[in-house]
Amino acid sequence: MASVADFAQAQAPVYHQERPAKSGLVDWLTTVDHKKIGILYGTAGVFWLLIGGLEALLFRLQLAKPDQDLFIGTQYNGLVTMHATTMVFLAVMPMIAGFSNYFVPLMIGARDVAFPRLNAFSWYTFLFGSLVINASIVFAHFPAGGWTGYAPLSTRAYGNDGMDFWWAGLVLLAISSMVAGVNFVVTILNMRAPGMTLMRVPVLAWMMLVIQFLLAFSFPPIAVGLIFLAFDRTFGAVFYETAMGGDPHLWQHLFWLFGHPEVYVLILPSMGIVSEVLPVFARRPLFGQHAVIFSGVFIGFVGFGVWGHHMFTAGMGPIADAVFAATTAVIAIPTGVKIFNWLGTLWGGKLTFPVAMLFAISFIPMFTIGGLSGVMHANAPLDLQQHDSYFVVAHFHYVLVGGALQGLFSGIYFYFPKITGKMLSEALGKAHFWLFLIGMNMTFWPMHDLGNRGMPRRIYTYPADAGWNFDNLLATAGVFFMAAGTLIMVYNMLNSLKNGKEAGRDPWDANTLEWMTTSPPPAHNFDFTPVVFSERPLFDHKHTEDLAIPVPSEAEQIHMPSPSWKPLVVATGALLIIVGLLLFNVAPLLWLVSVAGALTVVVGIYQWVSEPV
Amino acid sequence: MSAELATAPGHDAGHDDHGHVSAENNFLGLPNIKLAMWAFLGSECMFFGSLIGTYFFYHGKSLGGPLPTQVFSLTITSISTFLLLMSSMTMALAVDATRLRKLSQARAYILATAVLGATFVGFQIYEFSQFVSEGLKLQTSLFGSTFFVMTGFHGAHVTVGVIWLTMLSMLISNGKLNKDKASVTVEVAGLYWHFVDIVWIVIFTFVYLLEFIK
Amino acid sequence: MSYRLLTIRALRDRLARHPAGRVALSLLHVAVTAALPLLLLWLAGCSTEPAPRDTHSPVSDNGEISSFFYSLLLYLDAAILAIVVAVWAYALVKFKKQDGDDTLPEQSHGNMKLEVIWTAIPTLIVVAITVPMLVGVFKMSKRHDPNQPVVEVDVTGKQWWWEFDYKNGVGAGLHTANELHLPADTAITLHMTSADVIHAWWVPRLGGKRDANPGRTYPMSFTPKVPGIYDGQCAELCGSSHALMGTKLIVHPIAAEIEVEYKGQKVKIESYDSWVKAQQQPAKAPVAELEKGLKLFKERTCPSCHLINGLEGTDVAARSASSGPNLTHVGSRMGIAANTLVNNPENIAKWISKPSAVKPGAKMPDGLVTPEDAKTIAAFLSSLK
Repeated sequence: MASVADFAQAQAPVYHQERPAKSGLVDWLTTVDHKKIGILYGTAGVFWLLIGGLEALLFRLQLAKPDQDLFIGTQYNGLVTMHATTMVFLAVMPMIAGFSNYFVPLMIGARDVAFPRLNAFSWYTFLFGSLVINASIVFAHFPAGGWTGYAPLSTRAYGNDGMDFWWAGLVLLAISSMVAGVNFVVTILNMRAPGMTLMRVPVLAWMMLVIQFLLAFSFPPIAVGLIFLAFDRTFGAVFYETAMGGDPHLWQHLFWLFGHPEVYVLILPSMGIVSEVLPVFARRPLFGQHAVIFSGVFIGFVGFGVWGHHMFTAGMGPIADAVFAATTAVIAIPTGVKIFNWLGTLWGGKLTFPVAMLFAISFIPMFTIGGLSGVMHANAPLDLQQHDSYFVVAHFHYVLVGGALQGLFSGIYFYFPKITGKMLSEALGKAHFWLFLIGMNMTFWPMHDLGNRGMPRRIYTYPADAGWNFDNLLATAGVFFMAAGTLIMVYNMLNSLKNGKEAGRDPWDANTLEWMTTSPPPAHNFDFTPVVFSERPLFDHKHTEDLAIPVPSEAEQIHMPSPSWKPLVVATGALLIIVGLLLFNVAPLLWLVSVAGALTVVVGIYQWVSEPV
Repeated sequence: MSAELATAPGHDAGHDDHGHVSAENNFLGLPNIKLAMWAFLGSECMFFGSLIGTYFFYHGKSLGGPLPTQVFSLTITSISTFLLLMSSMTMALAVDATRLRKLSQARAYILATAVLGATFVGFQIYEFSQFVSEGLKLQTSLFGSTFFVMTGFHGAHVTVGVIWLTMLSMLISNGKLNKDKASVTVEVAGLYWHFVDIVWIVIFTFVYLLEFIK
Repeated sequence: MSYRLLTIRALRDRLARHPAGRVALSLLHVAVTAALPLLLLWLAGCSTEPAPRDTHSPVSDNGEISSFFYSLLLYLDAAILAIVVAVWAYALVKFKKQDGDDTLPEQSHGNMKLEVIWTAIPTLIVVAITVPMLVGVFKMSKRHDPNQPVVEVDVTGKQWWWEFDYKNGVGAGLHTANELHLPADTAITLHMTSADVIHAWWVPRLGGKRDANPGRTYPMSFTPKVPGIYDGQCAELCGSSHALMGTKLIVHPIAAEIEVEYKGQKVKIESYDSWVKAQQQPAKAPVAELEKGLKLFKERTCPSCHLINGLEGTDVAARSASSGPNLTHVGSRMGIAANTLVNNPENIAKWISKPSAVKPGAKMPDGLVTPEDAKTIAAFLSSLK
């Protein structure tokens, strides 16, 4: 019987590389290795997750009891805005980008992404975007217009100075996401190992493919909306000026045309992770893999036609309301299919329950709760009551925390050994899991009740006689459980880096290509390019004589991309362009900073295309 | 098993930054850089779709003038549109020349395209200054805001294209673009250039011409 | 069939008459029971406190439609969740790997028949709930028959209070603030708009909310059915005092005065006509020491924003986007500062001497009146019943 040990026999390939990799800090600044960029994204994601959680903790303290004045008015609105902006754009999305960067090339048997330097450029624009948004608290105030940034509350007349940092940072993040989207679409479509037909691409890589399309096609509308906002705030354009005939619906359409696909950007990767983890620990294939893939693709497509369900109260008229309500209800079908297929995977398996599996199985009911309350919101007449109430807050936290975040946690416990070569502590992991599960339900379940009791979202205080005291206290208490769990996870990761058990190539007896190489994988990922015969290449290698992956006896000749400073240079140019526009508000002449930025970009790109790779 | 291997598409173990690829070495049979350009142009469709969509969402909703018909000069815009269309032709000739491995000829066509594009941008700057002198500014009305931002971003795309083409011609002069990879590289630039052209055709037809049909 | 007839109870009774219906009911019963632990936690919140703004104790026709769908979907969701959780929990227990068993389970890749079934069933459910939902959408956006008497009110959201202008009926021409008085069992159309940013007027017991958009007007039509006093507030983030943009809906009986319960106390509500008559009176001229309050009110430039009908020198303000609430009958309101404080002279004095301390970002400037003057003005304002 073949085993992963076979792969240790392979000869290391012979490199062709223009410039060898550097070491130390310079290595991390100039790297174009998708694995290192993945680690950078993932680390940034966990860091911002802690910050975003801290912001939530602070405003939950304010809401613990009625009539408190810990954080009031714009302070509170700033915390709420930054919590959502941070969690969506700076925590969950980079964690997804981390997994996508690290594992997509490994899963499809490639040596890197299609455009390694462009990948580094995406990372730097993301980093700069996240820093610009958070610079608001250093140079001005936190943006206080809500993460949805509804105009005219976000305009100069009504919004605070933090909104400048908000649009500026988001524009950089939009560039980062669009570029990454294009890069990964090409990678997944074009860089697959021999034999890996589309239907043999692992579900996680498939979901990543779907979201890269969503990123590439859904970010332009919000980029346009943000550009309008920037022109209004900076140059006095009148896009959102209602006194000049501007329509507040414009921003909402542009925002939600991005915003709804974005919801699927956040959840589909976690569905992919769950679809990878469940089969490994159930010891059987994903039930109805094709149905799971197609339902994901279907969700991605329909996701572009449902944005109006965020605007049922906005006054679009009954016909638009009806159309959007009907298309939204359709989303329930592929989602249901996925849930049933996961149950089908468990049914008849031989289940073991390491922490990665615990998060994956608890994903199922928690996400189902979020999905089912979503069915309620799709019902426009009912949504008129639930819209902007705590019921909606409960809904999207079940989807994003119970769904997206639990999926990502499952991914962390599952893939940490591959990334670092060290196992995470199962005991600490279980503490994390239970604390988080209890805390999550304690915080978000009562919010359904709060919504039913008529509590609107984003209010910083409430009267003692509204009937909201018990639920709010419970919700605040739950946050501490979640915070404790998350801190345990961070400690677990840091501790395991030093003291963790050696993982070996394939600690979970897993199914897909990333587990055939060493942990952590070498810079070139695989000693030889694997040939793929089925959708579970490694499983079949281990269990089916006929389908063993052949190990070539000779060393492969490969070309590896060289490290480069150019992505950092060009991203810095992009940052300067944006900073110049911000400084324009301080002194008009400082727009010259933007000119310097544009020149940096042009010169940087010329050097980029001229340097040998 | 062997049958499966035989049908398994070939694979390039490496990567191909800025287009040094050979068309056989990838899964879809399309060079990475070309596939990337198509995906990018899809993204650009959403971008210009949103800009043009906003223009029509706000069409006729401006409070106060000047109206489009009062500022548009069809003569001038027709000339600049014609120049941009001509640039698409020179671009196509440039792509053809690289395919025939005639790089110096291609360079001439690329430069011609860049010059035509730059002239178009010059016309746009003139047009903008005319509009401003006739009282239509970014801040004047919804028409002003939507028009200047939409056509301004198109002009910015043309400018990016001009810079790109200039870089290409520099790369050819410096001998940094060898004959093997020039074809794909120039073709991708051509895809971008034609796209930007098509966007202008849409804007010229629906924003300018339709205004005068009513 | 009206929504009122088709309650869950009626549906259950109808089902129980058929054998197949009884089987369906008992299955539903099992499902709901399985979901009980979760529901209990939910209800735990309900049992401890009263819920004065319950979204599902509707007092209008629109609210009943929302509530109907809530009950329908709650039962449906609970049943689906119960089935999913039951299968899930059973699988976790039943298919746990036994110690020492290292064999592989059956390697099934799927089952076409099952896949078709569990795609078809959600599709049918979606169709079944979408069709009545579409009916509901159009029902809730209906316009009242123009031949029947309709009370129309312009509702304008302002940072951070509500302005109501009565367009027709006996109350035509009235301008009030924050507390909306409507007659019961009468067709109502509110025209929602805003003077600055987007707001949303939401009284949970009345039914759904509608956004108040600047530069747009959208109608909200309904018929309130139960006289009473109902709290609500702005539901769309609108700036620093979004939390303090309260409103009250007072539904008056058409005929005689009645007594209702509000926050555990008995409160009398006069008939709509008599409320209108009182509001149509000009303000009573202050006498004796209250005159000093009026004088200070004028001296401290209050009339440049606030109108008092019928008092000389206080009705000069042109109504504009930036003007404040009409104070002609401010003493008759239950709350002040958009329902943030109970209306009494002490609170008025507190509010006007330092508005930003009550509502962050309040448009009424701080320091216009000294605390001493504030008391005098408050006494005068309170007298404007």
